[in-house]
Amino acid sequence: MFNKNTVAAGVAAFASVALAAGCAVADGNKADDVDITAMSAEELAEHLIFETNSWRDQEMQEGGTWRDRMTQDEIQKACSFDSTRNDLDGETAGRVVALAREQYEAPEGDIELGDWRRGAELADSGFGYRIGHNNDDHGTREQGGNCYNCHVMDSSVSVQGTIGPNLENYGAQRGDSQEIRQYVHQVISNPHQYFPCTQMPRFQGLLTEEQISHIMAYLLDPESPVNNR
Amino acid sequence: MAVGVAGTAAQADEWQDPNDVLQMLLEAQPDSKYLHQSEMNIMMMPDNPALWLLDDGERLFHEERGPNNASLESCDFGKGEGVLEGAYVELPRYFDDVGKVMDFEQRLVHCMKEIQGFTSDDSAVSQRHGSGSDIMRLTTYIAHQSSGYAWNPPLDHPEEQAMRDAGEKLFFRRGGAMDFNCAACHGDSGKQIRASVLPEMRNSQEWTKAVSWPAHRAGQDNVRSQNHRIRGCVWQMRHAGILPDTPVNTALISYWNDAARGEPAILPDLKR
Repeated sequence: MFNKNTVAAGVAAFASVALAAGCAVADGNKADDVDITAMSAEELAEHLIFETNSWRDQEMQEGGTWRDRMTQDEIQKACSFDSTRNDLDGETAGRVVALAREQYEAPEGDIELGDWRRGAELADSGFGYRIGHNNDDHGTREQGGNCYNCHVMDSSVSVQGTIGPNLENYGAQRGDSQEIRQYVHQVISNPHQYFPCTQMPRFQGLLTEEQISHIMAYLLDPESPVNNR
Repeated sequence: MAVGVAGTAAQADEWQDPNDVLQMLLEAQPDSKYLHQSEMNIMMMPDNPALWLLDDGERLFHEERGPNNASLESCDFGKGEGVLEGAYVELPRYFDDVGKVMDFEQRLVHCMKEIQGFTSDDSAVSQRHGSGSDIMRLTTYIAHQSSGYAWNPPLDHPEEQAMRDAGEKLFFRRGGAMDFNCAACHGDSGKQIRASVLPEMRNSQEWTKAVSWPAHRAGQDNVRSQNHRIRGCVWQMRHAGILPDTPVNTALISYWNDAARGEPAILPDLKR
């Protein structure tokens, strides 16, 4: 996955914890002997995540371990501020947009839409990447887009969430040009390019390009129920 | 955002029926979509199925059990051996005997092991979830003794403050396969994931209901704990699988309960 690089970030996090923990790391029983009051809140949070055996030892669907999944990349780090009390500052916003553009991989040539019916199924499916007491098995069922969790897309079906904007008539209002397709592909793949520190996941790497093309069809195809509300 | 209605906190140092606490919160925030989302659950509250666990929990607490044939009456939840009234809302806290901050379930399991002699393999402590488990029966009985008391987890000890502050960082830490943090769902008011109206962490009267576990979850037909809620949130967020009795779990609960500070707890609650 593109956003789960960061061996470097992980090493940096451990280094800062080791500094804060001082000599306690040396005797091998880190969790019990570390003076947690000597760390900053951020250092302690990282210490708790990485050094206290708080996670199940499992393989992640995207490969790697819990340690890989819980290691933050640069965008995740930049967006971990208290959003209930602070607005995103301009410098961070610019940096996140730049990082997102760097990560994004544009498709070659013209973008074709897939099948809106398959897109509707994917938009409704919350399956995929869940781990822990009950793992999502991508070998038996394909991962979904989780779109309905947060967006109303076709209010005639199911109950849909309101964390993200309402997307009814999305294509009907915008048309279906290559420019619009490029924009929608960018937003689904890595929305931080336009909405830095958005709550929306980056789907490039979570979904296949084919799955993204189906969801784009659900949003943009004139025949899709999204555009006939 | 209306936070802390005059009179609520003033009554919060004495036991109150969980339904009375809920009614008080509903009246204080008539426009809260979260608090008012399920008319059926509000109607059912006097007959909350979680109340059925109280007698079993009381019996389990006083019964001499385990390899040591001992009751839990000598367990100290922070207010002295066997003192349960008001104890649940003052957790997590630092315990001298173990030299660290423990959350409620961690402390209960600690007592069942140290006093009664159960081991991690015994179903009495290994089975954490479901109305039929010893842990949930004991949890419901013990928590009920704090119903109506205001959340008041102590922050006097430096480790209590450190765990609460780390919990705050964890709450806002973006991570996992889908970049979520807790605030993605609990940072705004009146938002929905599918049909579920979400509690806003900065609205302390929504938040006291949100963290008031144990609660009967109607959709699962089982009484659930704070730990079970965290496990579910972490699972949905696509973070790694979290383990109970661990410092990450305790730090999150420290922050949760602190964010509800001053508001009365609904113990046990009934949720969708």
